[in-house]
Amino acid sequence: MEKFDVIRSYAPRLDAPDKATGKAIFTDDISRPGMLYGAMLQSPHAHAKIISIDTSKAERLEGVKAVITSKEAGTIKYGVSPARYDETVFATDKVRYVGDEIAAVAATTLEIALKAVDLIQVEYKVLPAVLTIEDAMKEGAPQLHEEFAGNLCAEVHQEFGNVEEGFKKCDIIKTTTMKSKRQDAAFIEMQACLAEIDRRGTLTLTTSSQVPHYVQRTVAMVLGMDVGKIRVMKPYVGGGFGIKAAANHQELVCCILARMLNKPVKMNFTREQVFKYARARHQFTHVITTGAKKDGTLVALKHECYLDGGAYTSFGIATVYYSGALLSGPYKLPNMSYDGYRVYNNKPACGAQRGHGAVIARAAFEQQMDMIAEEIGMDPMELRIKNMMNAGDTTCNDLNMSSFGMSECIEAVREGSDWDKKKGTLPKGKGIGMACGFFVSGAGFPIYRSDTFHCTVICKLTEDGGAALVYTASAEIGQGSDTAFAMIVAEAIGIPLENVRLASGDTDMGVDLGAYSSRQTLMTGHAAKEAGEHVRQQVLEVLATQLNTPVEELDIKKGFIEFKNKTPDFSALRTRYIKEHRGWTDNPDSEKLTFKEASRIAFLEKGSIVGTGKYRPHWLGGKFKGAAVGTSPAYGCSAQVAEVTVDIETGQITIDNITDAHDCGKAINMNSVEGQMQGSISMGIGEALHEEVIFNDKGEVLNNDLAEYKIVTSMDMPPVKAIVIESDEPNGPFGAKEVGEGAIMPTIPAILNAVYDAIGVRISELPLTPERVYNAIQAYKEKKSA
Amino acid sequence: MIFTIFCVRHYEYDVGIDIFLSTYRFLYDSAMDYQIISINQKGENFMLLPKFEFYEPTSIQQAIELKKKYQGKAKLLAGGTDLLVHLKKKLITTDHIISLSKIKDLSQIKEERDFIEIGACVTMSQLSKSKVIQEKFSALKEGGDNLGNHLIRNRATIGGNVCGASPAADTLPALLVYQTQVLLQGPDGRRKVAIESFFKGPGKTIIKDDEILTGFELPIPQKNCGAHYIQLGKRKSSEINVVNVASFIEINPGNKTIKNCRIALGAVAATPIRSFFAEDALKNKTADETAFYEAGEVARRKDCKPIDDFRGTAEYRRAMIGVLTKRTLETAYKQAMAQ
Ligand SMILES: Cc1cc2nc3c(=O)[nH]c(=O)nc-3n(C[C@H](O)[C@H](O)[C@H](O)COP(=O)(O)OP(=O)(O)OC[C@H]3O[C@@H](n4cnc5c(N)ncnc54)[C@H](O)[C@@H]3O)c2cc1C
Repeated sequence: MEKFDVIRSYAPRLDAPDKATGKAIFTDDISRPGMLYGAMLQSPHAHAKIISIDTSKAERLEGVKAVITSKEAGTIKYGVSPARYDETVFATDKVRYVGDEIAAVAATTLEIALKAVDLIQVEYKVLPAVLTIEDAMKEGAPQLHEEFAGNLCAEVHQEFGNVEEGFKKCDIIKTTTMKSKRQDAAFIEMQACLAEIDRRGTLTLTTSSQVPHYVQRTVAMVLGMDVGKIRVMKPYVGGGFGIKAAANHQELVCCILARMLNKPVKMNFTREQVFKYARARHQFTHVITTGAKKDGTLVALKHECYLDGGAYTSFGIATVYYSGALLSGPYKLPNMSYDGYRVYNNKPACGAQRGHGAVIARAAFEQQMDMIAEEIGMDPMELRIKNMMNAGDTTCNDLNMSSFGMSECIEAVREGSDWDKKKGTLPKGKGIGMACGFFVSGAGFPIYRSDTFHCTVICKLTEDGGAALVYTASAEIGQGSDTAFAMIVAEAIGIPLENVRLASGDTDMGVDLGAYSSRQTLMTGHAAKEAGEHVRQQVLEVLATQLNTPVEELDIKKGFIEFKNKTPDFSALRTRYIKEHRGWTDNPDSEKLTFKEASRIAFLEKGSIVGTGKYRPHWLGGKFKGAAVGTSPAYGCSAQVAEVTVDIETGQITIDNITDAHDCGKAINMNSVEGQMQGSISMGIGEALHEEVIFNDKGEVLNNDLAEYKIVTSMDMPPVKAIVIESDEPNGPFGAKEVGEGAIMPTIPAILNAVYDAIGVRISELPLTPERVYNAIQAYKEKKSA
Repeated sequence: MIFTIFCVRHYEYDVGIDIFLSTYRFLYDSAMDYQIISINQKGENFMLLPKFEFYEPTSIQQAIELKKKYQGKAKLLAGGTDLLVHLKKKLITTDHIISLSKIKDLSQIKEERDFIEIGACVTMSQLSKSKVIQEKFSALKEGGDNLGNHLIRNRATIGGNVCGASPAADTLPALLVYQTQVLLQGPDGRRKVAIESFFKGPGKTIIKDDEILTGFELPIPQKNCGAHYIQLGKRKSSEINVVNVASFIEINPGNKTIKNCRIALGAVAATPIRSFFAEDALKNKTADETAFYEAGEVARRKDCKPIDDFRGTAEYRRAMIGVLTKRTLETAYKQAMAQ
């Protein structure tokens, strides 16, 4: 086995000291002299025509520097995927949800800005609103967008194999419907940004974003500026989970105001605005029919899905494809059909959230797996292993599993949870359940059609060789990517982690598509590795010449030069190095030649030693419409077992523990892998048990704070046994792949299956609030006694 | 003195982690002067706290004088976990805030021969650590321990919880079953009011504009008594109760009949209420599972008048009143028998 010196260890995070001592700087911590504050006027109506906007009173307020509407901001359409740009910075003719942006103010203080927003007078003609999929799809329903009749934002129809024929061969066919609720990612740092423009016209936007690159392009397009005149930076970011994976209105407004006024402008969302802006997990309704043979072999899947999209498209096109595409694995499934519909209505737009599009589909499908297992009297684990894909297999929709430790994951949780002893033996009210899941390790294609590299990395040695400086435009948003890349570079060069310094999150440092679709470790990891190796190669080449040794005989390990054969006499080099540092006290006296010495010598020969790295995946996927969605160079996979206790009288669920095994390929930083596993589980529990954005009949969010929108607290978090399974991914840097999103896939269905085991009732609607569970138990009792 | 609170994130109403993070960042940041400036700016960027005059009287008398001076317009500040949230959300406005934190008398628990007096500014954490509360008023301890989270419990006071008069508040059912007297003091002197008649509706009490709630008097339960409190929410911390129930019983040790019993229900009416029908149904009955179950049924059917809202339907609330009544009685009974 390959021996690694840096990766595959439990490394302390580079950002830990800053964050643990409160010194980490987030966007809102940054201020500039003369900075103005921006605030936005957002629609109070779910659906209304704008008759007139009068900004005169607001403009007259002392301290107000500008009031802008679509007149100043323009009406250039933008959005996430170019196929569907359906937003403008400000609403022009009408507003489509409570929160739709109408105007903005810049003023000397936030208080004045907010007061000015109140002084803007808008005359509306309120239109009837549609707030549900059902209402939006009714004949004669009010239309949100003229171009999209029937409020149908997007539809997908796919068939792989032949589902009808497949069902004919089946002994068991199960149909179930599963509904989820709209969610919020509840990241801790609300969206914030600061835009400033210098004397030469360069616009710098500092923003809490996952994707500086896409924000840069959107700003360029909407403001009509060259990409070269725009720099987007993210300082520390307090989470994103997909919601910050596209430019938001506030960022655009902030840039427009800064350019117009030639002054720095800062803007922040309040927590209410985070809920208004939304862009988090859709509400899904899945109707799934699975057919299998008596022996458990899966044959066909027919899948229909409705997505409650909200007023705009955002990531929705990708979401509606993802919801179907990712059921083709991890089980061998020759026949699959999918009909997906994303429907507009007068609520905030939904978008991408951890496990994009696939989480609820997975929850529905993994329950059916259990139903089939129960019906044929097979252990749920056995059924899954029986149908499991192997490394090298390709799904019916052309997704290739280049590595796949799924069966190992199942075995690990079987043993780790003591499944064989517990399954079927727990008392009433207690249950155990399991599920599997997999997810992409980076989207195979950029969001806009392009042959672009997905990432570039630069690595530069300091002139004394004491540090390797790494520059990447990737986005550390709390997930630990900075540490992972520093580790990869250290491993690639052959030096200790402490000798690597890394700067990231700045479009001036290169191209990086950013932190979404669990892409960075694999993709930016490749580029980082290549950049490190490039540096290493340059140092070794100089050394080879100087020592008159073939370069193949040289190696760098742990900061020292290794010679494969005989160690040549390097005393001349050492003397030269020491002469360079007269008066220094820490000159090398080690038996081995140090990397420092070697790189100093290389610097003296070549000047700057700069290594570059880049990555883009090879062409992936099939030729059918939508084939790009779901493609990835690699797939992470996982299995989980949940144990629950259900209070039969109240419906309250306690998760007693979760055993989780995840195949992340080779783990770069064990700490981060386990952290992502824990974090995914906490989010999955929240989604399974209590998270739900609730609207009133006016389209306003009722629970728009973290008191009423219930994420998991530390008290709700069960003990988690996190088992890291390491396959060796041929398409990953050092064999690595994802863990950030795949790890959430099995959580919800494992809990649902455990709850069924505990109470004997399947609940087809999330979240499993005590009341919903109680009602299900009551209905079951009534049915039984009837 | 004009006092603008600069660490408003401290009171950011987004629960849990936000509060934790903000408090925590505040503690560290404030060590360095230049960063206090940036905190100032941070404060402005959240829900803005209005400017107000801030007073810190050192005696109840002084506080009452200030209250009188500004009549209804001055607000009392105890832990601030409700007041500051309401100010920031613009649910209330005020130009004058009178802090009670410098009045020492208000933060004490005094034990007399047959009653205890709990000062209005005693915090939930203090309640939880107090020996007499632990031993003699465990239902009240349960209430305090279930309120909010650690950070909130370190600030939230019992007076604030009562004056906030939320029908779902965590200490109220226990205070009701312990036959609490509310101690009020105003320019015209003191008065004592039974807690049952203190609440008028959500957020509304009988307290007068120039009065201060100074504390609570609770008779110490005799031998053979027990009490318990349970709250039901969706998650295990920082929860706003769907319903909550406290029960108190006194047992005739000889024949195990119920000599005395009080049950209080929360979040099923405009104020926390006593469950009189259920109490009557239990009097002189033999304390056993059936009796407790039936009491729950009576409480569910006759005593509660819940409404539907987004936290729960009336129907579920009713059902849970039945369950929690039974369960609190069972635990209270075990306690009584253990003495
Ligand atoms: C995150 C969070 C979670 C919470 N969770 C819970 C919970 O689980 N259960 C629960 O019951 N509550 C909860 N609360 C509400 C609140 O914390 C409690 O009601 C608390 O007890 C209020 O006490 P305080 O000292 O902070 O009151 P303050 O906010 O200082 O005051 C509340 C009100 O009472 C008045 N007042 C205070 N003291 C007196 C006095 N001595 N005389 C006259 N008037 C007075 C004030 O003027 C104000 O109107 C929560 C609040 C937050 C922010």
